[in-house]
Amino acid sequence: MTIHRLTMLLGKVVPAILFGALFLGVWEWAVKFFELKPYFLTAPSSIWQQFTTNFALIRGAATVSGTNALVGLVAGTVLGVAMSFVLSRFGFLNQLITPLAVALNAIPIFVLVAVLNNMYSITSEIPRRIMVTLVVYFIVLVNVARGLTQVSPTHVELMRSYAASDVAILRKVRIPNAVPFLFTSLKIAAPAAVITAFVSEYFGGSQNGLGSRISSNIANSKNAAAWAYVLAACLLGLLFYTVSVAMESLNRKGGVKQ
Amino acid sequence: MTAVSVRNVSKVFNQGKPNQVDALSNVALDVKQGEFVSLIGPSGCGKSTLLRLVANLLEPTSGEVTVNGKTAAQARLDQDYGMAFQQAGLFDWRTVRKNIELPLELKGWDKQQRSARADEMLQLVQLPEFGDHYPWQLSGGMQQRIAIARALAAHPPLLLMDEPFGALDEMTREYMQGELLRICAATGTTVVFVTHSIPEAVYLSNRVVVMSPRPGRITKVVDVSLGGERNEDTRNRTAFFEAITAVREGLRGMHAAHVGLGNDDR
Ligand SMILES: Nc1ncnc2c1ncn2[C@@H]1O[C@H](COP(=O)(O)OP(=O)(O)O)[C@@H](O)[C@H]1O
Ligand SMILES: [Mg+2]
Repeated sequence: MTIHRLTMLLGKVVPAILFGALFLGVWEWAVKFFELKPYFLTAPSSIWQQFTTNFALIRGAATVSGTNALVGLVAGTVLGVAMSFVLSRFGFLNQLITPLAVALNAIPIFVLVAVLNNMYSITSEIPRRIMVTLVVYFIVLVNVARGLTQVSPTHVELMRSYAASDVAILRKVRIPNAVPFLFTSLKIAAPAAVITAFVSEYFGGSQNGLGSRISSNIANSKNAAAWAYVLAACLLGLLFYTVSVAMESLNRKGGVKQ
Repeated sequence: MTAVSVRNVSKVFNQGKPNQVDALSNVALDVKQGEFVSLIGPSGCGKSTLLRLVANLLEPTSGEVTVNGKTAAQARLDQDYGMAFQQAGLFDWRTVRKNIELPLELKGWDKQQRSARADEMLQLVQLPEFGDHYPWQLSGGMQQRIAIARALAAHPPLLLMDEPFGALDEMTREYMQGELLRICAATGTTVVFVTHSIPEAVYLSNRVVVMSPRPGRITKVVDVSLGGERNEDTRNRTAFFEAITAVREGLRGMHAAHVGLGNDDR
């Protein structure tokens, strides 16, 4: 079984790596061949060179943005789960808030960070964290509330036939039903948290995260350095996404149908 | 003693609204202890509604339902019945064993008692080696047997079943009918069984209750004189065909009247 899964994994990973290598090769070649100016397009080799020489700085910036994303992700998840319980308990609230949450998800609410920035000191990370929290909160809220309410009618009838209390139905039907919804929402919320953390940095505050470093390097025409920070941003997003996917598959191993 | 007594029960959904439905009108039915009674009739004639009234998942608009001499509400609180539906309704996140133990958990049984009873029920439905599997690893027929095991786990005197074999193929279905009779004979359980299939109703039942729609009511009760012992030969006996004919005539008489009504409406 493990051998089989290994070959399947290789079958997926090898073509992706080959394609990535080919893409980078063509990019590198095109920059050299057409003698493109660095402000137009920078060669992968010089981006990588910037990435390694500035690694300590980049890691510092990634830690700042990553911490903001992580704090917001945890806070938003906790608040979203808590609120989803309230919503599922009071159906009418659900009908009021779910459309609102969906609408808020559709507009780029991170511009709110400009307002939040005015409320805190200029060096505070709190506005960015609040912003991430808000974005994560609505994603988690909508999904988990759905998991708590969209349970099989047969299951609810069965529980009622056992004279089960509402609390028992919550514990034995609604919560287990909502767990996969939580992990799905985390898979959406984790990359969104990272993106929100970067974008929030464009609206002022300390110039210490990946987002502000990207914009300041571009402002100083240091394109290769900016790209090196972009690379770090991609890696950070990938890290958050990978962890959330791993958590979901660990949960699946607990026995829920694939 | 009567296991189920339904007296002059009517059920109206959405009373007074434009979408009012007279789901049941003046229904009376007594089911004796140990008896197997089937409800048969076209869709919408109120079979499921009648079963849910007995289960106290619905309240009658008028009339009275008693189960084992108690009100239906009290019988539900005492878990005097087990229930099975067309969907097995097993919980995907619980093992087969944990599914069977669910009603016992809700009764507050301790772990050892529950585990012992789950073993007993797995033996009863002849799936002892599947306790640690998850439901989705089982075939439809096996899932339905686990659902029956769960319904009977607390040893209720009454089993209420709403088209439990409706989603199974014909072969599995006949096998499950035999299994159900064997299980009921072993446990002495009274059964009220909703079905669409005339042979299924006749093969399983002591009595077949024929219902008709708009408003839902009982139009005929067919006594099946096949005795207690039923096996594959039962399906070839004259009494089997006679009962099938009697049920079919009950349904057909109503169908003719029903078509007539439909024409009048237009
Ligand atoms: N909760 C409900 N609200 C409104 N109408 C209902 C409800 N449940 C059943 N009905 C209606 O009552 C009638 C009988 O339904 P049901 O008992 O499910 O029939 P059967 O099980 O015989 O197919 C149908 O017309 C159905 O639409
Ligand atoms: Mg029905």
